[in-house]
Amino acid sequence: MEGTITIVQEGRFQLSDRAGVSHQFVLGHDALAETEQLRPLQSRQAQVRVKYTDASGLISLIAHRIDLLEPNLLESPRR
Amino acid sequence: MNVHPRARDYPKSSLGEMIPNESELTAGVKIEPGKQYGFFTDTTVCIGCKACEVACKEWNNLPADNVGLTGHSYDNTGALSANTWRHVNFIEQSSIQALGGQDLGGQDLGGKSVRDNDQAPFQSGWLMMSDVCKHCHHAPCMEACPTGALFKTEFDTVVVQQDICNGCGYCVPACPFGVVDVSKADGKAHKCTLCYDRLKGGLEPACAKSCPTDSIQFGELSDLQARAKRRVDELHARGVHTAYTYGTPDSPGATGDMKYLNAFFLLTDRPEAYNLPAAPTRPSNRVAPALVAGLATLGGLALAAVALLAGSSEGARHGR
Repeated sequence: MEGTITIVQEGRFQLSDRAGVSHQFVLGHDALAETEQLRPLQSRQAQVRVKYTDASGLISLIAHRIDLLEPNLLESPRR
Repeated sequence: MNVHPRARDYPKSSLGEMIPNESELTAGVKIEPGKQYGFFTDTTVCIGCKACEVACKEWNNLPADNVGLTGHSYDNTGALSANTWRHVNFIEQSSIQALGGQDLGGQDLGGKSVRDNDQAPFQSGWLMMSDVCKHCHHAPCMEACPTGALFKTEFDTVVVQQDICNGCGYCVPACPFGVVDVSKADGKAHKCTLCYDRLKGGLEPACAKSCPTDSIQFGELSDLQARAKRRVDELHARGVHTAYTYGTPDSPGATGDMKYLNAFFLLTDRPEAYNLPAAPTRPSNRVAPALVAGLATLGGLALAAVALLAGSSEGARHGR
């Protein structure tokens, strides 16, 4: 899933996708990112791609990998 | 209702920026580092609306868990967990006997159950309490933490630093109230932070701010303790003789060297009825006696083994 991180609390974050739909994520224990790396992503409004799986028993997604995207990758389809 | 004089500076409901020291307007307290802050939860005015649960989830971006209906009363949250830092207990009293045969107004009910058609005046058969981390003065979770992830903040609250927590889970059994939980999603310990980020920004914690009946009150600990004492005296004067505080100095909940709890409660039934321990203790106080007992057992076993071996070698010599 690709989008912008809009809210960060500890290892939990909300991602707004290209359609403007918000999705809730929890940074998984095997994630290639640390909790303190999330807040700078939010403050910079960086475009990211998140690899995730569903969480059992939670209305949330587990993020396993977060990659920074080039800004123009997301801007072009919007017009 | 008393309105803070500064509130007149903000007549509009939509604001362009944050109000400096907003807690002065909402909770009547200015939040300053170095002072002790906490919650006073008056269960006699809790209506079980769960606004505190929702506000906590919203502010802290906590995911919903325990999806579905429990089938137990109006409580579908179940318990405090890694993703639920406020939990409203719904305790239905099957018998008035728990209150000594009287309703909360002190009227004798003649042993009738609250399920009987004659509803007890002044109070129904439900007790409701918004449970939360107690932010203990001597926090057992903090004492058990080997990495120092749990720490006391400048507001005398207890917080888990997520980047330092290694998920060992020692804090979970150490907590006498069963508050701390390790999340299966991220493998780290989680609990209420008493809205540490909000306190740093001069904001009242989300749950206290959202409480419509002021059952959850936020403030300086000494003020809250004095307020709780006045409330207990007032309830006693109105005939509610069962009212008492849980977690203030020298009260139930502050036993076993716990001193006091920064988040304390006003209850009208036994602590166990609210799923609270009657006499919580610090596990760290049991380490030294347990170590001595273990060493003594080891020493005793060693002596017994030496005596047995000496006896058998003596017997072998005589046999020869």
